[in-house]
Amino acid sequence: MMKLSSLLEPALDDLLARLKPLLAVVRAGRRGAGAGVLAGDGLVLTNHHVVGKGRGIEVELADGQMFKAGLVADDPQVDLALLQISGGNGHAAVFSTAEPRPGEMVYAFGHPWGQRYVLTAGVLSARTFGRTPSGEIPLLRADLQLAPGNSGGPLLNAAGEVIGLNAMIFGGDQSVAIPSTLIRSFLEQARRSVPGLRHLEEVL
Amino acid sequence: MSNVLVDLSNAMAAAAEKAGASTLLVNARRRMPASGIAIAPDLVLTADHIIEREDEILVGLPDGTEVPAKLAGRDPGTDLALLRLERPAVKAAETAPEAKVGQLVLALGRPSPSGIEASLGVVSAVGGPVRTPRGSLDRYLRTDTTPYPGFSGGPLVDAEGRAIGLNTSGFGPGAVLTIPADLALKVADQLAKHGSIQRGYLGIRSQPAEVSSAARKALKREQAEGLLIVGMEDDSPAAAGGLMVGDILVSLDGQPVSDHDELFARLVGDAVGKTLPVEVVRGGQPQVLKVKIGARP
Repeated sequence: MMKLSSLLEPALDDLLARLKPLLAVVRAGRRGAGAGVLAGDGLVLTNHHVVGKGRGIEVELADGQMFKAGLVADDPQVDLALLQISGGNGHAAVFSTAEPRPGEMVYAFGHPWGQRYVLTAGVLSARTFGRTPSGEIPLLRADLQLAPGNSGGPLLNAAGEVIGLNAMIFGGDQSVAIPSTLIRSFLEQARRSVPGLRHLEEVL
Repeated sequence: MSNVLVDLSNAMAAAAEKAGASTLLVNARRRMPASGIAIAPDLVLTADHIIEREDEILVGLPDGTEVPAKLAGRDPGTDLALLRLERPAVKAAETAPEAKVGQLVLALGRPSPSGIEASLGVVSAVGGPVRTPRGSLDRYLRTDTTPYPGFSGGPLVDAEGRAIGLNTSGFGPGAVLTIPADLALKVADQLAKHGSIQRGYLGIRSQPAEVSSAARKALKREQAEGLLIVGMEDDSPAAAGGLMVGDILVSLDGQPVSDHDELFARLVGDAVGKTLPVEVVRGGQPQVLKVKIGARP
């Protein structure tokens, strides 16, 4: 039998290599840097609280490309925002359609305390709920330590699919993520309501 | 797509799902509900400190339904309590063999009806015996899992979903422990039979004392300390068995005793009423006496 460590290490290296081009650094004015996920066609998904009203947003990709970004859709209640940049690196994240299972291994990818491209491992702790002014929304709680700079970064499953967007602002609970079901409907809504984003249909 | 990370992830999720079927919600206090482990179709083991009322206890099942339960017994000394469901409704948890330091584990809890909750870690230490505020534990485990609110009474499970022990934060702030499954089940057995834990009683006052090198040679083992008997209650089990002030107690029922914690731990469980060999060093020579263990008043 092969040693488990000799299987795990290359698998993690491979995961990190596949994920790196999907993550961006997002800066907006004097707010600290957050993270963003490339969603294809120059679209970058992040948290509303990372970009605020959307003035002076800059997006930096893993290969060092820098872009000015425009805010094309946002949902302050669910804490999602969608940015557009004029270019990209051809990579787009896969948003999981599978039901997340408590106990499954999950990874947070982001820039905690300004350290770039840090992968943090844990398990999905619970499928839970959060209150917003317009009602209850589903949330994911993960058993891992997030820090400022993880906001807007993805929560991923072991296959490298996005199962949520780390938000850490609900109820004071640190490791809280917006599930991919909400992300998918947010992207769908953006496609319908924002002219010029109709081509997103193929991405979804 | 299959790779080792996906396999590991699936294994951990399957472990949570399997053990989650025997991890129940226990609603017996005003604040947040906590968790419990099914040990028989109608028996649920939980943490004693989460039972704040003895009536109107409800146990939440994985399917979201609730079953009323009665308190079958409780033992603050080990922070364990046993509940009996009104009707058989649950699947008993599978237990795991002894835990090892470094082993990958999940702490599970069901503090809300919305589903099982999990925290990942490793076994960081195996310790004991230890005195608790109101009793003792022969052995305990420490882990670096996160004790989320309502996780007390829930299981620590291995990568195959077998219960290694029961998690509790009931021994005070910062003292989150796991009671090993075999130990917890022994207590559960006593609680099912007697409703409480009987603790053995010798009726001696003692203090740790050195065992001389000559006595050690005669004992044929390297036991540095025993308990020097400095006082004895009248009509006590110890007096009846022939123990004397000045004896150094070195073992009970064949198990070495070198401090109070060890003696305390040996007297818990089914020792009460049994006549057990007690080894002492008297006048430098080992001697074995038979003592019928009493029940602590």
